[in-house]
Amino acid sequence: MSETVSKPVFSGNKSTRTALLYGGLILAALIWFTPVVTLVLTAFKDAGDFALNGAFSIPKSIRWENFSEAWQTGVQNYFWNSVIVTSIKVPAGIVLESMAAFALTHMHFKWADRIFTYILIGLIVPIQMTLVPLTLLMNALNLIDTLTGLIILYIGFGVPFGVLVMRGFFRTIPAALIEAARIDGASWFRIFYRIALPVALPAVVSLCILDGVATWNEFILAQIFLRSDENRTLPLGLVQFSTQFATQYDQLAAAVLISVVPVVLVFLFFQRYFVAGMGGALK
Amino acid sequence: MEMLTSLKSEKRVLGRAIAAKARSNSHEFLPWLFLAPAVLIYSVIVIYPMLYSAYLSLFRWDGISPTKVFVGLENYVILFTQNDVFWIALKNNAIWLVAALLLPTSIGLGLALLLNTRFRGSHIFRSIFYFPAVLSLAVVGLIWTWIYQPDLGLLNQMLVALGLKAFTRNWLSDPQIAIYPVIVAATWNAVGLPMLLYLAGLQTIPEELHEAAKVEGAGPIRRFLYVTFPLLRETTLIVLAITAINALKAYDIVYAMTNGGPANKTQLLSTWMYFLTYNYNQVGLGTAIAVVLFLLTMIFAIPYIRFMTRKT
Repeated sequence: MSETVSKPVFSGNKSTRTALLYGGLILAALIWFTPVVTLVLTAFKDAGDFALNGAFSIPKSIRWENFSEAWQTGVQNYFWNSVIVTSIKVPAGIVLESMAAFALTHMHFKWADRIFTYILIGLIVPIQMTLVPLTLLMNALNLIDTLTGLIILYIGFGVPFGVLVMRGFFRTIPAALIEAARIDGASWFRIFYRIALPVALPAVVSLCILDGVATWNEFILAQIFLRSDENRTLPLGLVQFSTQFATQYDQLAAAVLISVVPVVLVFLFFQRYFVAGMGGALK
Repeated sequence: MEMLTSLKSEKRVLGRAIAAKARSNSHEFLPWLFLAPAVLIYSVIVIYPMLYSAYLSLFRWDGISPTKVFVGLENYVILFTQNDVFWIALKNNAIWLVAALLLPTSIGLGLALLLNTRFRGSHIFRSIFYFPAVLSLAVVGLIWTWIYQPDLGLLNQMLVALGLKAFTRNWLSDPQIAIYPVIVAATWNAVGLPMLLYLAGLQTIPEELHEAAKVEGAGPIRRFLYVTFPLLRETTLIVLAITAINALKAYDIVYAMTNGGPANKTQLLSTWMYFLTYNYNQVGLGTAIAVVLFLLTMIFAIPYIRFMTRKT
């Protein structure tokens, strides 16, 4: 494993090569992480320190108030809206998506391939292609500027990726296992939630995480369909915050950091599921 | 069914019999029941609006008045012949697309090659380089706006510190160059996915191939060109398709960083569609842009969809 691709790029003896590899990677990683470090440093600084020394310097004193002030200026509201939307959309979406994926993989459905292709179209449609009719539709249903409306839209747009990932995993369940349960007289619903879903639990977790992050980060639908400040979700609220308080970099940075923390935590604890989820999408 | 064939022969016969029985017993109605919720909401939210947009692009309409005037392809003619910003947007999309096909892909491949070997700390490096990919593009845009800030931003400060004051700029306000800093910020976010896909692809290459090539006396560059890269062909196809599709979806980051300015010089088709539709009430022109964007996406999407459905 260790001799595959990376090391031979460098000449010289082994320890020199290792040192070069580490040195290069550490340098690259430092440069790569500079924007994040800048964000964190700014978030803990007071405005005067920032105006004097710029973004990339160690704060003179740690200013926790940036966070409480940002929280009270509206971030609190955006944060809870994002929590509501994400925590309803993700589980609801997964139920629909995994049921559909199950039908496409194990129910001997002769239309399966055609329906799957039809669903895949959604992966490539530019969202702009749907905005005007969706505005008319949401208007007619009185769902403009409501979190309910936004959740419904998110569920609709989530179907293609969710079905793709779940189908990838369901395909790895041996057909014999499903058939055996059929022989035993289990109904399709029972097979779905007693056999297929438990076996595909890693896929469900992966999808929850990928979908959760995507929902948490979604911008354009929120921008079009949420109008009032009290309904805004985080990404939208932050951009709004940045235009309203353009010069208050300290508070804005704190607000951005608050929005990023949940994603960072999910990323740190469930990292392997990102890889597994993407793998499922390619099966 | 493919799993059954891999079992021993008697089980295979039994399996076929069972499958045949299950097939004959299963009613076409039940699969539809499982599919209905997802397919219905997806059709209403994605497919129907898509078709309706294409239809609306043939009308002159402000989005409010009860009458739409059918004008055929006039909106497209207006875009291509009279709408200067449309051409700016088209050019920016082309620049963005080229950058996206070259930068995140090659950086992702390079990092994947370096980090594919397990060494102490390799997974920490993977996390660091993947991390920007989990941030929202709005957040990425805001962070990089500070970096480009003319007086206090890191970039100009660094240039001054390095004695390169002549190169300092008001990065996002200079109409000649503003799109490029935005693309750099987008690239920072876009590297993670190709890296992840290439890492997955590299895992599938058997170690013996490298050993064999090594024994034959092939150096690292030749091994990459003649062993690794050809075997990553499938991964490369997917990476190129996904990055191209994502590049054409770009919207949030431009909105957060420049809002299309200065003087519309950083408009993309996606942002210009928004401006025309929602700020200027030109629904016909807006939907026509969306159709153009869709057709551009199809160039990359058709091979991708073919690939995704190949095994079925």
